[in-house]
Amino acid sequence: MTIRSFDLLQPKSLQEAVQLLQKHREEARVLGGGTTLVILMKQRALHYPYLVDLQSIPGLDEIKREADGVRIGALATHRMVETSPLIRQAFPALAQAFGHIGNVRVRQTASVGGNLAHADYRLDPPPPLLALGAEVTAFGPKGSRTIPLRNFFRGMYETALEPEELLVDVKVPFMPAGGRSVYLRYTALSANDWPCLGVAGLLVKDHGRCKELRLALGGAAATPLFIDGLEWTRDQVIDPALVDRVLEIVETQISPFSDLRGSEWYKRRMARLFVKKAVEQLNSDQQ
Amino acid sequence: MNREITLRVNNRAETIQIDDAETLLEVLRDRLKLWSVRESCGVGACGSCTVLLDGHPVSSCFLLAARAGSCEITTLEGLGDGFKLDSIQEAFVEQRALQCAYCTPGFVLSVKALLDETPNPTDEEIREYLAGNLCRCAGYADILRAVRAAQEKRSGTVTRS
Repeated sequence: MTIRSFDLLQPKSLQEAVQLLQKHREEARVLGGGTTLVILMKQRALHYPYLVDLQSIPGLDEIKREADGVRIGALATHRMVETSPLIRQAFPALAQAFGHIGNVRVRQTASVGGNLAHADYRLDPPPPLLALGAEVTAFGPKGSRTIPLRNFFRGMYETALEPEELLVDVKVPFMPAGGRSVYLRYTALSANDWPCLGVAGLLVKDHGRCKELRLALGGAAATPLFIDGLEWTRDQVIDPALVDRVLEIVETQISPFSDLRGSEWYKRRMARLFVKKAVEQLNSDQQ
Repeated sequence: MNREITLRVNNRAETIQIDDAETLLEVLRDRLKLWSVRESCGVGACGSCTVLLDGHPVSSCFLLAARAGSCEITTLEGLGDGFKLDSIQEAFVEQRALQCAYCTPGFVLSVKALLDETPNPTDEEIREYLAGNLCRCAGYADILRAVRAAQEKRSGTVTRS
């Protein structure tokens, strides 16, 4: 056996899962799809005596349409999001982001909740979800609470979830009328590798002018990053001067660091290039 | 923790004792002696250990066997009937889409899942779907030809020798 022995606990409800986490505390870890956790345990980089399996709780993998958006269950797989007609129609950039991850087998296994709770700084789904204004539902000993994704990522591999809390679903609100979104990923190594950098954007236009511009980046800081302070773009004409000002703001908020996929210097330049590309693409796509 | 599970593999039910920490690959290979399931990279990147769960391709090297009890598992051994090859296997042989053949079971199962999902894939769809299966003999051109040949065999429009 490659993996050190552990007990797989299979609760039938969220309450039962939380009780297990309360009982075993730091000896237990939540298991979603397992694409990261099981591999790290296999490599013996991590070990937990107990894994709390969320797959045994019915209904956590649903993708549901609601009046104001779409709710994606934490155990929905990447492949389910990628191929969902509802997601493809309402959030094509999101379907695309999930569709670019790893390979078809990984996407068949990896869960949406696991991806977010893992809080890696360069994953594909967080930037488009941030740009779309998504929020997650957490469930813990004190019941449910909603956390805007903007406040969810706290540090490298750290989230706003309490140790005994579970991520239950992520709600993605429909885009405002006239809204359009984009996700651009840049890979420095092979095409199915983690991105060096990911840029998501959402633009709402009204009579040729900007009504709202939102940007979010992956790989550009220790956490996925929502760009603040773009409210001034409202009612502005989207011209090269506006794009330059946006780039300056992005520049001050990102804090990339050198890794296998590029140096800090390189990522800063790529961020400029891809944010520019994203804004231009959002602007030109609209007639 | 030890547990007894019943795995449904290639239309047979197999009841065995496993440890929670055993991967599906370990159980299929070491216990059920299904040698077509092969470990290579060990992290889901290469496709050698591909099996189908309810018809969908997955990497068995990092799936816990304890979680696979509710699924129908198909390995390469489940494709032919022991005497006659599946049309995809025939296409791989005829197009010489294998050299060392280590990666072939994974490719054949991935192609089966692809053609079951998308009977008439575009070249781009084929390449995208198979991007996660690696062949270090670099037989990709032959493999792509085999996919087309398998597709034709399945739709029954062209018979190739």
